[in-house]
Amino acid sequence: MKHIVRGALLAAALALPFGAASAQVDELKIMAPAAPGGGWDQTARAMQQVLQGEKIVSNVQVMNVPGAGGTIGLAQFVNADKGDPSALIVGGYVMVGAIITNKSPVTLDQVTPIARLTGEYEAIAVPADSPLKSMEDLVAALKANPQKVSWAGGSAGGTDHITAGLIAKAIGVDPTKVNYIAFSGGGESLASILGGKVTVGISSLSEFDAQAKAGKLRLLGVSSAERLPEAKDVPTFKESGVDVEIQNWRMVAAAPGISPEQKKALNDTIAKMVNSQGWKDMLAQKGWANTYLAGADFEEQLAKDITATKAILKDIGLAQ
Amino acid sequence: MSDPNTPSPDRSARRGADKAGFAIAFGLALLSLVVGWDAWRLSQINVYSAIGPAAFPTIIAGGLALLAVATAVEAIREGALERPRDEPVPMAWVLGGLIGQIILLPFLGFSIATGWLFAATAKGFGRGPVWAHFLAGTAMCLVIYLIFAKGLQLSLPAGPIERLF
Amino acid sequence: METFAALGHGVVVALQPMNLLFAFAGVMLGTAVGVLPGIGPALTVALLLPITFKLDPAGSLIMFAGIYYGGMYGGSTASILLNTPGESASIVTALEGNKMARAGRGGPALATSAIGSFVAGTIATIGLALVAPTVVDVAISFGPEDYFALMILAFTTVSAAFGSSVTRGLTSLFIGLALGLVGIDLQSGQARLSFGIPDLLDGVEVTTLAVALFAIGETLSVAAAGLRAEEVIEPVKGSVFMNREDWRRSWWPWLRGTALGFPIGAMPAGGAEIPTFLSYALEKRLCRKPDEFGNGAIEGVAGPEAANNAAAAGVLVPLLTLGLPTSATAAIMLAGFQQYGLNPGPLLFTSNPDLVWGLIASLFIANGMLLVLNLPLVGLWVRLLAIPRPWLYGGILVFATLGTLGANPSLVELGMLLIFGLLGYVLRRYDYPIAPVVVGLILGPLSEQQLRRALAISVGDPIVLFQSPIALTLYALSALALFGPLIFYLITGHRAPVGADED
Repeated sequence: MKHIVRGALLAAALALPFGAASAQVDELKIMAPAAPGGGWDQTARAMQQVLQGEKIVSNVQVMNVPGAGGTIGLAQFVNADKGDPSALIVGGYVMVGAIITNKSPVTLDQVTPIARLTGEYEAIAVPADSPLKSMEDLVAALKANPQKVSWAGGSAGGTDHITAGLIAKAIGVDPTKVNYIAFSGGGESLASILGGKVTVGISSLSEFDAQAKAGKLRLLGVSSAERLPEAKDVPTFKESGVDVEIQNWRMVAAAPGISPEQKKALNDTIAKMVNSQGWKDMLAQKGWANTYLAGADFEEQLAKDITATKAILKDIGLAQ
Repeated sequence: MSDPNTPSPDRSARRGADKAGFAIAFGLALLSLVVGWDAWRLSQINVYSAIGPAAFPTIIAGGLALLAVATAVEAIREGALERPRDEPVPMAWVLGGLIGQIILLPFLGFSIATGWLFAATAKGFGRGPVWAHFLAGTAMCLVIYLIFAKGLQLSLPAGPIERLF
Repeated sequence: METFAALGHGVVVALQPMNLLFAFAGVMLGTAVGVLPGIGPALTVALLLPITFKLDPAGSLIMFAGIYYGGMYGGSTASILLNTPGESASIVTALEGNKMARAGRGGPALATSAIGSFVAGTIATIGLALVAPTVVDVAISFGPEDYFALMILAFTTVSAAFGSSVTRGLTSLFIGLALGLVGIDLQSGQARLSFGIPDLLDGVEVTTLAVALFAIGETLSVAAAGLRAEEVIEPVKGSVFMNREDWRRSWWPWLRGTALGFPIGAMPAGGAEIPTFLSYALEKRLCRKPDEFGNGAIEGVAGPEAANNAAAAGVLVPLLTLGLPTSATAAIMLAGFQQYGLNPGPLLFTSNPDLVWGLIASLFIANGMLLVLNLPLVGLWVRLLAIPRPWLYGGILVFATLGTLGANPSLVELGMLLIFGLLGYVLRRYDYPIAPVVVGLILGPLSEQQLRRALAISVGDPIVLFQSPIALTLYALSALALFGPLIFYLITGHRAPVGADED
C-alpha cells in the first residue's frame, strides 16, 4: 500500500509535461541515481558539461536520486518519466546486481538502453610481502581451503563480491565458501590489504594502481579480455586459466515508451557527444576508459550480463 | 539533559503507578518484538559467515526487552509523576505544517509547500495571520529555491511557481 | 628542514592577493551552504567543487580548502545557535553549545569553536607535515579487532551524555542501536528491518535522525509548552567575545581535543565522530565544575570542536601518504585532485611536492581566513537568536527540511524527519537524553561490522579479539573509564567529581 501511495506521489511530482516530441534534442534532464560525488553522479555531470560545452544540447539538467544501489532512482525514473524523450538515467553494472538482491520491482528491461559509455576492470591485489606470487598460487590456496583465503572488497553482492564468486565457481570451488569481507569505502579495504589483515583484495584496477606502481601491492590479475595498457605486465584471469571476464560499466538509458524516432534522436545525440573532443578530454582527465557500445550490441551484452549475474548471485546465496 | 523549556517532572507527587512509564515500557517491548522477529527471520537465511546478520539484532532485541521490564518496574516504584500539561493546539499547528509540506511538495513545489510550513509553525507559536505568513514564507522560500537549486544545483522539487524561472 | 622550506613556499603562493580572494570566496560560500542542517562538509564540497574547476590549480586548491573549512564551521554554527547539527561530527557540539547560546553565551561558544578549530587545524597541519609517514604506519596496523576495541572504548564514553538515569540513558542508546540495524547488512547483503520499503535499504541517515531529534523535536516541545515557555532568549549576556575565564577553560580542551582527533582521524576507519565523543567524555571527567556539563560548559564545545577539526586534518594523512580516501570528504577531495592530473598515492609527496605543500598551505591559510572572517561576525550571528520565536522556529523548520531535501530529495526522507521529530518530542517530554540515540546509530553498525570482519578473518576464532596489544590497551582504557570513579571512591572514600550530576 505504502508503495502505491509513494509511487503515485512521486509520479505526480515528476510527470512534467515536456512537450516537444521532435527529432531535435534541445533539452535533457539526466538522473543520477546516486548522491553527489559518486561515480554515476560524476558521469551525469561530465555528460552535462560536454553536451553543453560542445553545444550539442543547449539545456541539460542533472538531478540526484540516491539510494539502494540506484534502484530507488530507477523506480522513480520508470514510473514518472514514461514516454518523456528528454529524460535520461545514468546507471551501471552495480545496478544489475542491486536489482536482483534488493528484489526491486522495477528492472532494466523497463528502460530503453541507449549506450554503454565507460568501464573499469576488476583486479586482484596482494601485499608486496604476500606468499601468493601469481593467480595460480591463489587458485591453489583456494582449492586447498577456501575459508583460509579472506577477500577484502566492497559491499556484499556488489561487483567485487560477484567477481570473487565467479572466480571460485570457475575453478570448481563452492562460491558460498568464499570468505568475503565487505568494507564500506575503498580506503578502508585498501588499508586492510596494505596492513596484511586479509589475504587478497579485489576492486577496480584504478583503486590499486598507485599502490602497485609504488611497489606496495602486487597485482595478480585483471578481469579484462586482453591485457590493459595501464597495467601491461599484469596477466588477465583467462591467461592464468581462470575463465572469468567482467567489466564494471556505466551506461545511459532513456525512458520507457518513447518512439523509435525519439530513441534514434537520443542515440545520435549521445554518439555525437562520445565523438566530441570535449568528451575525449573529459575521459582523459577523469582517467575513464572509453568502452562505448550502442544499439543492438549493447542490448545483447546487457542481457548476457543480467543472466550471468542472476546465476552467480544465486550461487553465492544472495538471490533466490 | 534538562531543557529550560520543559521543566523536569516534579518528583514529589506520587499517586499510583506512572502511566506514561508503562506506555513507554510497552513501546519498548513492542520494538523488542519487531527487532526479535526480524532477527528470527534472518536466522532462517543461510549465508556463510562466522557471525550472521541475525546476531546483533538478537542482542539488541534482548536489551530492549530488559529495558522494557526495567522501565515498568521504575514506573511502579517511582509512582505517578506530575508533568506540566502540554498544549495540543500549537503542537497540532506545527505537525500540520510538517504533514502539509509533505502532501503539498509533489504538487505545488518547494516554495509553496515550505511557505505553508513556515506559516503553520508561526501560527503554532502564536503569530498570525496565516495567509500573510504564507505569502511571505512562499516568497522567502522562492528566493531560497533560486539560490540553492539554480545557483548550486541542489535538486529541490519544482512546482508551478518554480517552473516560471 | 626541507619540509619547512616547501611549506613556506606554499604559504607564499597562497598569500597572493588573488588567492586570498579565492580563499575568502570559498569560506563565504562554504559557510553559507554548510550552515544548512543535514548538509555537512562532504556534500558542501561536492556541490561547490564545480565552481573551482574554472580556476588555475593553485587558486582552485585554495578555494577548495576555503569551502571545506567554511562548510565545517557552518555546521558548528548551526549546531550552536539553532541546535540543528549539520553533520555527525558536530552533534556533540550542539549539546553544550546550544545550552550556552540559550544562556546568552552564544558569542563565546562560537568564538571558542572558531579559535579551537584554528588551533587544532594548525597543530594537526604541522603534525601532517612532520610525522605523516610514521603516523600512517601505525594507523595501517589497526585491524578490525583493534577497531572493535576502539568502539568499545567509545561506547563507555556514551554514559557521559546519559544525564540523570542509567535506565533512561540505556533506553535511548538501544533505540539508536535498533535504528542502526535498518538497511542492507554490509557483510551478508541481507535487508534488515526494512519491511520491503526500498528507501529504508540504505538505512537511517545520521544527519536526518540528528536534525529530526534536535531541531524538530525541540520545536515541537517548545510549541507544546505554549505559554509556559514564554522566555525570551537574550542573544548576549555579558561579553559577546570570550572573557579571561573562557580562555583559561578552553586552552586545555583544545589541545586534548587535538591530541584525540589527529591520530584517530588518521586511522582508516577512525572517523571524526568517535574523537568528538571521547573528547566530550574526557572533558566532563576533567572539568572542575562537572555540574555545568549539560547546562552549557565551554569545555564541552572547545574540546569536541578541536577534535573534529584535528580529525579532518588527520584524514589527510592516509590520503596524501597512501592515497587512501577514508571519509566521504576525502573521497571528494580525491576527485578534486584528479582534476589536476594528480593521483594521490604513495608517490605523491615525491612526484608532486609543490601541489601537496600548496594544499597544506592552502588549508592553513583558509583556516586563518575563517578565523579572521568569522570572529567579527560572531556578534552578527548571535543576533539570529533575537528573531521573534514564531519566525525563528518557522525558519529552523524551513532550513531543516531544505537541508534534508537537498541531501536526498525524497518524501520518505521527510516522513522520517517527521516521525523522528515526534520521537524527539516524546524523549524530551519524558526526560530521556537525546544524544545517546544518535551515538547508538553511529557506533552500533560500526562496531558490528568490525567485530564480524575480525571473526570472519579468523574463521570464527574469538581469541583473535584479545591477541593484539593495541586492542588490549584499549580494553584497559575502557575498563578504567567505566570503573575508574568506583576505584577512586574505594581508595579515597570520596565520590569522584563525575558523580556530581547524578541525583
